[in-house]
Amino acid sequence: MPVVTPSLAFLIFAAGAVSGGLGALLGIGGGVFLVPFLNLGVGLAYPVAAAISLATVIATSTSVSAGRAGKQLINIRLGMVLEVATAAGSLLGGVTAQFVAASVLQKLFGVVAIVVALIMVGRLNRRNVILDPAADPGLLGGRFHEHESGGTVTYQVKRLPVALLASFVAGNVSSLLGIGGGVIKVPVLNAWCGIPLRAAAATSAFMIGVTATAGAVIYYGRGELTPALAAAAVLGVQVGSWGGMQFGARASTKWLKLLMAAVLFGLAIMMFVRGGR
Amino acid sequence: MTREAARLERIIGVVLRTGVAVSSACLAFGLLLSLFGAADLAAAVMNVGVVVLLVTPVARVVVSIVEYAAARDWTFVVLTAIVLVELAASAVFALVFNKRL
Repeated sequence: MPVVTPSLAFLIFAAGAVSGGLGALLGIGGGVFLVPFLNLGVGLAYPVAAAISLATVIATSTSVSAGRAGKQLINIRLGMVLEVATAAGSLLGGVTAQFVAASVLQKLFGVVAIVVALIMVGRLNRRNVILDPAADPGLLGGRFHEHESGGTVTYQVKRLPVALLASFVAGNVSSLLGIGGGVIKVPVLNAWCGIPLRAAAATSAFMIGVTATAGAVIYYGRGELTPALAAAAVLGVQVGSWGGMQFGARASTKWLKLLMAAVLFGLAIMMFVRGGR
Repeated sequence: MTREAARLERIIGVVLRTGVAVSSACLAFGLLLSLFGAADLAAAVMNVGVVVLLVTPVARVVVSIVEYAAARDWTFVVLTAIVLVELAASAVFALVFNKRL
């Protein structure tokens, strides 16, 4: 157990605020930043860092979704369908860890992140929205009011199996890496499944709480979740996610896509650094 | 959006807001206590905060099952029930077999 000093608690509080802000903006838990920061920067053991990160992912998911519930941005039906795949991925995460070396998995993950980032950048000016209010969103699609285009936008879900596969993979690596997996789901849902970035982010944020819970319970049961550090990080998340939500509704979709691509490149670097050791 | 869907979204919002409020209050109070040296009480209070945090997403899934059942939307009752079983199974497997992550 690491010794908890006020300065360490404050540092982790600040890191939690950054994660929470990104979570509210991009629908990712922010674990992608928090884990390398706590592991490489602060020097906590990987399981301790991953456990704190998973706790913040749950906090981000819960507070962002609580703030958005009732605004129709979260596609709850789609989220529930994809959760079946993501929870199955978490369940089999331990099995994956038995058969695939962590370093191989991490390098593979890095390559995927770069490919997805390039696709995001290539699609900067393409939107998934149908502005005709009479359009049929289909069984799993949705509609919501968007500030940027000033109207109600409608979308249909395409290639559901791809969305299910991405959710499965996200769940599969979640407990292993200490991340919620939003970084995988959001770009895939946006680039291939026809879901507007804001709806993809809100739906992913909704789901990652369930994804991270499966992993967090494991770490908690083993006593690797340090309550004081988790407390500092989770409180930081509350502050950060509030700020991110204020800013997110006004930020342009193009800017959000560029931020997502930057996050993916960062993730790729992190994976190559870890996978190389 | 149907009336049932709007109702479900509202109820989920209440569950999540309650979970966030209770766990944050416990964690903040515990962290303050630990700064003033009441280590045992602080640990107990923060532990409650962590457990509430972990239980909140599960509670959201349980509430969804109940609401979908009330709306007789059996497809989604089955889907959300599968999620709950998967969550329970991953916790049980990991804790019983203590596999490496």
